Amino acid sequence: MRMSLSKFLNDLRIVDLSMGWAGPLATRHLADMGAEVIKIESCTRFDWFRGWEASQTWIDEDQAEKHPPFLAMNRNKKDVTLDLSTERGRDLLLRLVAVSDAVVENFPSTVLPKLNLGYEVFRGVKPEIVMLSMPGFGSTGPWKDYRAYGSTTEQAAGLPHLSGRPEWPPAMVHIALGDAVAGLNGAAALLVALRHLKRTGEGQFVDLSHAECLFPLGAHGIVEQALTGSSPPRLGNKSRYCAPHGAYRCKDGWIVIQAENEDHWYGVKSSVGWHKLESFDDLQDRFARSDELDAVVTSWTSTRRADDAMLELQSNGAPAAMVRHSKHLLRDRHLHARGAWEIRVHKFLGRIPHVVSPFRINGNPLALGWPAPTLGKDNKKILGGLLGIGKRQLDALERDGIIGRRPRLRKASQE
Amino acid sequence: MTNGMALEGLKVLDVAGTIAAGYCGKLFADQGAEVVLAEPPEGFPTRHLPPFAPGVAAPEASGIHLYLSTNKRSAVYRRPTELLALAREASIVIDAAVGDERPLSTSQLAAVSPNALLVSITWFGQDGPYAQFQGTDAVCQALTSQIDWLGEPNEEPMIPGGYQAQFIAGVTAFVGAMGQVLAREIGSVSGTDHLDVSILESNLCFTEIEVMRAYKGMPTRTRIGVNRFRATYPLGIYPCSDGWLGVTVLTPSQWDGLCRLLGLENLAAVKKYREGVARLRDADEIDRQIAENVRGKSAKELSERGQALGVPLAIVPTMEQLVDVDQYVERGAFGEVRHPDIGSVQLPVTPFRLFGCPAVAGGSVARLGEDTEALLAPAEVAP
Repeated sequence: MRMSLSKFLNDLRIVDLSMGWAGPLATRHLADMGAEVIKIESCTRFDWFRGWEASQTWIDEDQAEKHPPFLAMNRNKKDVTLDLSTERGRDLLLRLVAVSDAVVENFPSTVLPKLNLGYEVFRGVKPEIVMLSMPGFGSTGPWKDYRAYGSTTEQAAGLPHLSGRPEWPPAMVHIALGDAVAGLNGAAALLVALRHLKRTGEGQFVDLSHAECLFPLGAHGIVEQALTGSSPPRLGNKSRYCAPHGAYRCKDGWIVIQAENEDHWYGVKSSVGWHKLESFDDLQDRFARSDELDAVVTSWTSTRRADDAMLELQSNGAPAAMVRHSKHLLRDRHLHARGAWEIRVHKFLGRIPHVVSPFRINGNPLALGWPAPTLGKDNKKILGGLLGIGKRQLDALERDGIIGRRPRLRKASQE
Repeated sequence: MTNGMALEGLKVLDVAGTIAAGYCGKLFADQGAEVVLAEPPEGFPTRHLPPFAPGVAAPEASGIHLYLSTNKRSAVYRRPTELLALAREASIVIDAAVGDERPLSTSQLAAVSPNALLVSITWFGQDGPYAQFQGTDAVCQALTSQIDWLGEPNEEPMIPGGYQAQFIAGVTAFVGAMGQVLAREIGSVSGTDHLDVSILESNLCFTEIEVMRAYKGMPTRTRIGVNRFRATYPLGIYPCSDGWLGVTVLTPSQWDGLCRLLGLENLAAVKKYREGVARLRDADEIDRQIAENVRGKSAKELSERGQALGVPLAIVPTMEQLVDVDQYVERGAFGEVRHPDIGSVQLPVTPFRLFGCPAVAGGSVARLGEDTEALLAPAEVAP
C-alpha cells in the first residue's frame, strides 16, 4: 500500500533544539518528508530567527511570529517551550528524547554542557539515540568553540579566493552561504545515521562542520591546487575555458551567458548574428579578443529586454539567463509552472509564499504541509498527549514559566 | 567495502556522468554503498572537465572526476542489454535525462530491480517551460537571483566561480534519495519510483527568504558593492601580514568586541553604530579605518584574539593554505585520493562525521572501464 507522498518518514521522531538557519533547515527537510519534528524553544530563549532585537513593544506586536526567515525554516514542525535551565524543564526534555529517534542541535559549544545536557546524557535515557551536532567548525579541533555565521564559514573555507576580479579583495558570494549548505548536509547526515539506526539498532553521535560542507563549492580551486600546485586565477566574469562568458547589459537589466562548447557558441552566433561573430570562430581567438567579443555581444543584448534575450538565445541552444531580482522569482514562468512556490496564510503575517521541497516523486511535489508553529503551540499536544502530563501539572508548568505561549524578556541575570 | 559502514548493502548505478550526479554518488560511495559508473566508451562528461592533471592523458586527467569518483567502480557499456545487466538489483539509478529519452526507463528498471529508485538530476527538472533550456551554474545562479546581489552597484553582477549550483543539487538529490531509501527500508514505500531533482530549484535554498521578504514588501537585497550585504556591516575581508582576515559583525556586543580588538574606541563611542544599518551607511569610512588598522598585523592572531572576545572572525585561507589549516588537519577534513595515473592527492572528505560508522576518508579512483569484466559476465558483453 502506498503512503501519502509526503508522509513516508512518519515513523521518525526528532527533537530539534536547533535555531537560526542551518539546523532548522536540516530538520525541515525531514519534516517535509513526514518525520515528526518537535522544536524546542523557551519563552526567554526562543529561536533567534524569530528576531534578535526583542523589546516589550516587539513582544506586544507579536513580532516573534512575523519574521519570514523563521516561517521559512520551520514549517511542518511542532513547537514546545521548555525552560531547560530548570530541573523540571530539563527533565521533560529528557522524557521527550527517550521516545525519539534523534536530537539535533547547533548551539555554541558551551551551551549544552552548562545545562548538563549533551550526547552522553541523551544516551543515558535512550541508548540508541542519534545526535546531530552542527557547530560552525564541528565539535572537535582548535576552532570547535569558534563563533561563526554563514559568512564566517564561507571565509574560512577559502571560497572568496575563487570569485571576483583580481583587483578586488577575496569576494564573498552570499551573506550566509554556509547556513543553507550546512542545513542541506545536516539533512543528509541525519538520514544516513537514521538508516544505520533502523538497520542495526545502533545510534551514534554525528557532527558536521559548516566550513567543510562548503569545500565542494570550491572543488575546482582545491583540485587545481592539489594537481598543479597553483590556484585558479581570479578573472572576474571571464573564464579560461569558455567564451563568451559573463553578464551582459540589456535594456532592463542583465543577462548571463556561458558558452561552454561549440554547440553553445553556434547558439550565440545564431542569435547575435553570424556575420558579426564569424571572425571569432576559433576559441583561442575568442579568449585573445574577449573584450572585443563582449562588445559585440553587448551591442546585441543592450537593444533587448533581458527576458527576451534569454528566450531567443535559449531557443538557439545557448545557455543564457536573465539575472532575476528576488521580487521576480514568484513570477518566473518556469518556477510557476512547476509549482515551486505555494502561498500559505499565516496566523500573524497573512499570506506568504513558501518554496516547496525540491523533489518531485513520479511527477508530484511533496505537499507543503502546515506553516511554522507559533511559540509553544504544541505544548499541550506533546507534553500532555505524548508524555501524558496531566492538565493540573501543565497549568503549574505554565504558572512557573517553564512552558508558555508568549516570549518574555530575559532578566539581566539571565543575559 | 569495509564492514559496518552506514550505507552498505545499497547499490547505486550512475548513468549520468554529471557533477551533480557524481557528488550525489560520492556521498553514497564514501559511506559504503556500492557505486558503479556505467560509462559510454569515451567516458563520462566529468572525465573531460578541467582542471586536469599535468602530463596525464585523457580520459584519466580530470581532477573534478577524480574528486567525484572515490570508492566507485567503472564499467563501460556498449549496448542497452549491458546497461540492463549493470542495473540488476540496483537500489538507485541516477541519470541526467529529461523526458522519455533516457538510458533506463522506470519500467525497464522495475524489470531488473523491483524496488529501485530512479533519480534524475537535471538543470530544470522533468517539465515546465525551461525543461529543454541549456543550463550552467551561472544560469541557475542568475535565475534564482543569487548573483543579482554580487558586485559593484552600477556594474555587471559577479558570477561565482566553479560548479557551485551543481554541487548543491548533488547534496539535494542525495537527501531526496536517502529519504526514499529509508522509507523503503522501514516499509512505508515500495515499488519503482522516479525522483525528479532540478538544479535550479535546489539552489532556491539561497534565496527563498528574500522572496518571502519581497512578497511582503520588506527591503530586499540589491547589489551594493563587493563584500557588502544588507543589513549588517562589517562583513568583509581585509589584507593582513600573513594573509586575509574575515570579519562578520551582527550584534552590538560583537561590534564592541571588534572595536576593542582593533583599538577603534572612536568608532565604539558612536552610539548609532550599535546598529548594523547605520554602520553600513558609513561603510566606506569604517572600512578605511579597519583596513588601516589590521594592515601589518597577523590575521591568524587577530582571529584568535577576536574569537576570544566573542567576535566571529576567521582567517581566509588561500587554496594553498587550506589543507594546512590546523582545524582541518586535526579533523581530517582532507583524505588521500589515489589514481593509477595521477598518483595521490589530498582532497576533501565527507563533511559530516558519523562517529559510530565513519565514511572512508579519500580512497581509490577507477580508470575508465576498469571493472567492466568484473561487473559484466562474458555472455552479457557485446562482441
